[in-house]
Amino acid sequence: MTTLEAPVETRAGTFTPPPASRRPRWLKPSGRVFAIALLGLLFAFPLYWTVTMSFKPRPEWNPPGKVFWWPDNPTVENYTSLLGLKSEEGSVFATQRSRSALGPLKNSLIAASAGTALALIIGVFTAYGIARFRAGGRALPFQILQLRMFPPIAVIIPLLFMFIEIKIWNTLLGLIVLYGAVTFPFVVWLLRSFFQEVPREISEAAIVDGCTQWGAFFKAVLPQVKGGLAATALFVFVLNWSDFLIAKIMTQDDGITAPVYLQSLQGGASGNEYGLQAALAMLLILPPAIFGLAIQRYLVRGLTFGAIKR
Amino acid sequence: MRRLPDLGGRNEKTVARTLIAPGQLLMAFIILFPASIAIYIGFTSWSPTTGQDFWHAYNFWHWFDGYWEALTTQGFWVALGRTVWITAVAVGVEFLLGFALALLLLKTFRGRGLVTVFFLLPMMVVPAVSGFIFFMIFQLDGPLNEALSVLAPGNIQLEWLQDADIAIWSVITVDIWQWTPLMFLIFLSGLAALPEDQINQARILGASWLDQMRYLVFPMLKPIILIALIIRAIEAFKIFDAIALLTAGGPGEATTNVSIYIFDETFQAVRWGYASSVAILILIFVSVLGFWAIRPIEQAQEETLEELTGAELPPPTAAEQRVEEAIEAEARV
Repeated sequence: MTTLEAPVETRAGTFTPPPASRRPRWLKPSGRVFAIALLGLLFAFPLYWTVTMSFKPRPEWNPPGKVFWWPDNPTVENYTSLLGLKSEEGSVFATQRSRSALGPLKNSLIAASAGTALALIIGVFTAYGIARFRAGGRALPFQILQLRMFPPIAVIIPLLFMFIEIKIWNTLLGLIVLYGAVTFPFVVWLLRSFFQEVPREISEAAIVDGCTQWGAFFKAVLPQVKGGLAATALFVFVLNWSDFLIAKIMTQDDGITAPVYLQSLQGGASGNEYGLQAALAMLLILPPAIFGLAIQRYLVRGLTFGAIKR
Repeated sequence: MRRLPDLGGRNEKTVARTLIAPGQLLMAFIILFPASIAIYIGFTSWSPTTGQDFWHAYNFWHWFDGYWEALTTQGFWVALGRTVWITAVAVGVEFLLGFALALLLLKTFRGRGLVTVFFLLPMMVVPAVSGFIFFMIFQLDGPLNEALSVLAPGNIQLEWLQDADIAIWSVITVDIWQWTPLMFLIFLSGLAALPEDQINQARILGASWLDQMRYLVFPMLKPIILIALIIRAIEAFKIFDAIALLTAGGPGEATTNVSIYIFDETFQAVRWGYASSVAILILIFVSVLGFWAIRPIEQAQEETLEELTGAELPPPTAAEQRVEEAIEAEARV
């Protein structure tokens, strides 16, 4: 919004604009800087605290009566010890913790990637069917969206019996299937919004040129939504990577994922392992932060199921 | 004779059905199957501690006793009420804060891009991790109490996680921290897309800032605001991860929302029959709400759909029908 302040000569005479309309004080330049700085501080502090905590040695974690705003003796020991590269000598922790974070991190990575692939492969067809052919009528997309509204805990208990029964409980396969299913609605809605932007003439032209419907889809339409596919894949990966509930219920021992492992470090016999947890938190935050910023343009579209496009 | 290319017709229907079939199977697997098991188990008092597997749950059949218990005892209603309260407060504050932030960062200034990224980061944090982060911050000897002690006189030792009256606000704080950025991002793009001319005109004509907001900005942003509120409410209703790491529903049951309630009934109390009844009640509740909540999203979708594809496809013209008939006739020969 540009502001008009000086009087303007018009044919009807001199027009003096009214004084800049009174904005609330917090939107005026000085107030604005102050407000942004204050909010920025409040929003950035939790992350600041996590980053610094991950570099603090044990005595600085949470000693009674003193707060270390900055690591006095910075160390990477939290990371090395977390990943099992070096055991923390003389610590109760060394014996208490039975496994390093490597296994859970690996589980997270595999389950999240394979779950994403599954959701994408199934979702891309459904999305195209809905966007191009209105398959399933108008109701189908909203039935799919309604899946998202159910609290996952409400459907996961029956799945727990079922998974135990068919022996895929506490396996990566079980996690992958669930991750694929849970993020499927997002894939459909997001890709549908991308497919809608492809003019149907493109597939029709391919068909006139001799392609089958399938050929037209793979050779003509799919290349048009490459960017959208990539954004959807990253978005869905972040969702799967962020899961805690499903893994908490569906896995144990060596099968757990990193967020569940994070919880298992809480409140052990030697108290809370803040430094190690913070180091793990950093490793957990990193991929979504990178991917999230990479697809910043599509974040709103993703999280609003394509309803808001920009 | 050369075959005419098939531009639609019967083939299209088959293709459409084939395209959505795998997805529909997946949906059946993830919702129909578990829902029917939950309905079955919900009519029984079965749990794994009875020593029988769930196929034999009918030995513990008690019709609607589980539902009756949920609807007549306090636990369920309190958890539901608390969930609604958490959702309403968190989403309300997120809306106000997010909108204010968007207004603050609308005009460009040096370093705006970087500042924006900073405000977006919390949204990308794994929810369980944000629960843990605030678990550190809310410790008795943690940074928050220390900072408050500096700002206010005396040594402040608020029990953020142990005091039943405060703990619920701690939970709400986590959600606000994590999801205000989404509101901010939505409104930032919404505000940037508003027509400047109209707002400038209104300003020159002497409309106050408040009037500009009330008569121009809000009405124009209404669909976006509605969608943002609904999407956030859906998600806030389901919070589990952050609470699990922050308070695990405690102290006592002070931060137990429906997700935590069902989890505790399943894994602490091991009452799977009862937990299933509660789950079904929640599914019904959410479906009823959802039917009403989805409409604005549906409208937004339909509008863009019409923009992009034009209205419904016109019925086949006489010429097209003749072509199809010709193809069919040829296929028979």
